[in-house]
Amino acid sequence: MENHMHGEANASTSQPKRVHRHTGVKNHLITFAVSIILTAIAFIAVASESVDRNTLVPLLLILAFVQALFQLYVWMHMDQKGHGFAALGMYSGAGVALVTIIAFVLWVWW
Amino acid sequence: MSAQHAVNGTLPPEPERATLEGRNKVLGFWLFLGGECVLFGSLFATFVALRDQTNGGPTASELFQMPIVALATFILLTSSLTSVLGILAMHRNKLAQMQAWFIVTVLLGAGFLGLEIYEFVEYYHHGHMLTSSAFGSAFYTLVGFHGGHVLFGVLWISLLIAQSYKKRLTVVTAPKFYVASLYWHFVDLVWVFIFTVVYLMGMVE
Repeated sequence: MENHMHGEANASTSQPKRVHRHTGVKNHLITFAVSIILTAIAFIAVASESVDRNTLVPLLLILAFVQALFQLYVWMHMDQKGHGFAALGMYSGAGVALVTIIAFVLWVWW
Repeated sequence: MSAQHAVNGTLPPEPERATLEGRNKVLGFWLFLGGECVLFGSLFATFVALRDQTNGGPTASELFQMPIVALATFILLTSSLTSVLGILAMHRNKLAQMQAWFIVTVLLGAGFLGLEIYEFVEYYHHGHMLTSSAFGSAFYTLVGFHGGHVLFGVLWISLLIAQSYKKRLTVVTAPKFYVASLYWHFVDLVWVFIFTVVYLMGMVE
């Protein structure tokens, strides 16, 4: 595994690309704050009833997808090296799921 | 190359990837999560297709209460943060800190489940049941399946915490926590789509 060349020796700062995982508390707190803000926007947009329905639904979906990417890339560390197969598995699964949803929506509503 | 870490008493910075078994466990779990995407995708598709078939019963906009959904969402998002803080503590080889964060995660998960049970009982009294309409079946199957995942996660992580008091933090136990944390984030990710597609869009009508 080419990406596991880190030992105790370079665990601090000598290899920036591999090290941010161990210093990422701030990074995670920021992501959490942004997630809460995005969630709040979604709830307020629905509660205030001020957004037109045709823009509200896409807006909610976009907010959800951004949050999903946060979960995957920041909290589940998919941004880091060696996650190629993980990404392949997730995107295959998500792709099948998406096709299923589109098929059902088209089938029932059109 | 990393097998000696378990022997000499020091933990490598990424203990979950220090052994081949650990790396395989993490990879295998990602592939499992890909399969979970398909499962939840099917349930979402079913729900979206059937959400208006209420058979004369209460509709989504009549049932759903925003405060309780917002609270549940906040609890679950916070538990995702606490579980990742547990993993960061693990990377610094801080066992007690890791245990504390995972205990908080379990408590938040249990709180979420409590809210969900309360919510389902409320809906039941409003005539919204598993067998009352296609909407009911689709709703309880999707949301209940997610709730089942939360319950499983709570039990799983509880057992891991209990085990960690005896087995401590090693290259064998670290992948287990890492994988459980991945699971927990995934459950949270699914909830993001549930509160969006099921609850918020249900309230939009």
